[in-house]
Amino acid sequence: MGELGPFALRLGLFLSGYALVIDLLGLWRKRRELLDSGRNATVASLLCLTVAMASLWVLLVRGEFAVSYVAEHTSRTLPLAYKITALWAGAAGSLLLWLWLQTGFVVLAFSRSCGTDGRFGACARAATNLVALFFSLVLVFDKDPFAVSPTTPADGVGLNPLLQHPAMALHPPALFVGYAAFAIPYAWTIAVLRQANPSEPAPFFARARTWSLVAWAFLTVGIALGAWWAYEELGWGGYWAWDPVENSSLMPWLTATALLHCARTYRAGTRIATWFLVLAIGTFGLCLFGTFLTRYGLVSSVHAFPDPGLGILFLVLLIQIGVLAGILFLRRHLRREGIASGQTSGVRVLVWNNWLMVLLTAVILVGTLFPFFSGFLSDPPISLKSEYFTKITSPGGLILLLLLGACPHLMRRGFTWGWRTVGAAVTAAAAVSIWVLAGSPAIAYLVTCGFVGLSLVGDFVARYARRRPDTARPPRRTTLRWHGARVVHIGVLMTFIGIAGSSGFDVEKQAALKPGERIQVGKFELVYNDLKADHGPNFTAVTADVSVYRGARQIDSLAPSIAFYAQSGQRTSEVDIRRTLAGDLYLALTQADSTTKLVNLTIYQKPLIDWIWIGNVLMVLGALLTIVAVTGRNRSVGQTEVVEE
Amino acid sequence: MQHKAIAKALAAIIVIGGGLGYFGYEALQSSWSYYYSVDDFAGAEKAMQAHSLRLAGRVQPGSVARDLEKASLQFTLAGAQAQLPVRYTGVVPDNFVEDREVVVEGRLTPTGVFQADTLMTRCESKYQAKGK
Repeated sequence: MGELGPFALRLGLFLSGYALVIDLLGLWRKRRELLDSGRNATVASLLCLTVAMASLWVLLVRGEFAVSYVAEHTSRTLPLAYKITALWAGAAGSLLLWLWLQTGFVVLAFSRSCGTDGRFGACARAATNLVALFFSLVLVFDKDPFAVSPTTPADGVGLNPLLQHPAMALHPPALFVGYAAFAIPYAWTIAVLRQANPSEPAPFFARARTWSLVAWAFLTVGIALGAWWAYEELGWGGYWAWDPVENSSLMPWLTATALLHCARTYRAGTRIATWFLVLAIGTFGLCLFGTFLTRYGLVSSVHAFPDPGLGILFLVLLIQIGVLAGILFLRRHLRREGIASGQTSGVRVLVWNNWLMVLLTAVILVGTLFPFFSGFLSDPPISLKSEYFTKITSPGGLILLLLLGACPHLMRRGFTWGWRTVGAAVTAAAAVSIWVLAGSPAIAYLVTCGFVGLSLVGDFVARYARRRPDTARPPRRTTLRWHGARVVHIGVLMTFIGIAGSSGFDVEKQAALKPGERIQVGKFELVYNDLKADHGPNFTAVTADVSVYRGARQIDSLAPSIAFYAQSGQRTSEVDIRRTLAGDLYLALTQADSTTKLVNLTIYQKPLIDWIWIGNVLMVLGALLTIVAVTGRNRSVGQTEVVEE
Repeated sequence: MQHKAIAKALAAIIVIGGGLGYFGYEALQSSWSYYYSVDDFAGAEKAMQAHSLRLAGRVQPGSVARDLEKASLQFTLAGAQAQLPVRYTGVVPDNFVEDREVVVEGRLTPTGVFQADTLMTRCESKYQAKGK
């Protein structure tokens, strides 16, 4: 087993290189049998990667500590579930997971029934095999998950107790499924760009769209799980700290959101088509770049020059993709003839949305890279606190909300002075004056959320209450898709409400309390009763017993605790949260003295925060509805579907 | 028509550029901080007293003192040569232990103690920001 994994990985490297060369050769010489060979090699490389994945899993589960990756991420006492999820606990394993998923998705999307001459699929395969080749090189020569250490340790280091949480076990693979699935729209785009004439209808658009939706849904799940874990586990009452790791998942999410909106009205040769192609490449590029950024610690270092080693391959790959896409775009641009401008007001609104998303991505990217680039210009380097991101994204977020309220309607009907248009203008004026005069962005956000809510209700009223009985029912697929989009929008709205409420009206209190002492927090009164000590097999824990009163009535009791692991010197604090839709009361035990029973509590009130989690669930559900709607329709109607509404 | 389009584009650039410039300036202004390792910071204390700072170093073993009455934490941030006392009030990250690499954000007080309002610990692949 020890030799099988590395061998499979190296064979996979060879096969993806072979598939790349042979597919390109086949495209150049127009030889069908070469393309078939390229397809078979891609399938074979998937098999090799599957073997590599399986053997790494076996090594992890069996605890073969001779392998460094196993020793660094598991230990004898680690529960089996976390031995399995340790596969993506480190950089090497997660790259392998990404590569395996990506190759699998490519085989699913582009190996069978790819047009009559198979050249479209071959080009798409070549685009992803290029990426696979680079990943394999990094895996084999730099971050080898099967690398064996000279001495075999008796036990592994184990997994950080903070990461031993279900959300943290599922957060990385959800992100990686998202990242890997964005390879499909990227590959599709490269294949489309190979066609010289931009007005030529693009085949298999439905596949690109479906995979974009799938990728977006998984990325949303990944980001939401990460935020939820941070809130539940880290004990600082927040869920988003704008650190480079989080930013690098948010940036592709933003561009992908724009991508999906373009997919809605995609027609070859239009402006929106160009947007779709650019966004598809940009999104996948951001996925790669984010991984490079975080896995090689480019931005978390004090000194601006950590040795990226072979991580520099990521940059080479990105530059290659950029140059390739640039050349292809230029060629199309030079050869284009009479492109339909497609300049209806619906398209215009869509373009605004795209620009806004790209702008938000750009300012986040600038902030994330700022510490790195400031190293060249200033000594000492300058870093930005998280306030930068909050301040620079909040105006954009508000505009985004306004668009969410006004645009679905503008896209359908064009620009008219309907109640939504007037409402949007009034809301905008109100929001700006609240922000400037009262200095409260949170209230400005909530006011805008109110308008968006009304607009969404208006959509449902128009569809159900005001429909004339004689009009024909729209097809079931269309209905499903309409609801999918609405559910996603309701989810986004709820998320915004939660963000505005929890960051605009939160209360934080630090308290040093002796048993029996009380403290007033908002409308609650907290009484610290007692400190209880607890002993486990390898830890000692102290738990504070706190009663929550509203007026004279006790409504809840909370028990935040700290556990000390003597062996590792690690301490973990378990927060306790009273959850209601109106807001959370969040208690963290910061410090405790078990002899005097003096404790330090950090108490947060986070209004409306649970709306974020509900909103996130709705966003994913809506995306699933839409996926069902569009995949079903492809089978029945085919490529030539007309955009509805 | 041509003129109208140019005027429109100019107006858009002015509005968007102006907005971006204004908010960008605001955002940078409030979050600008100089990033030093403790060793590099030695000697720059005077010049940097008024500035918002971010310092990286190790937690000196044996230097951690918790004051439960004031809900605060004191420790010495150590580099290869230099050392700096740090005071922090707030949520202490779970993986804050002696000899761990940490990053603190805050200001240098006239007494020479660094008053941190953020304390972050660093792991190999990911460092988690916590608290204010």
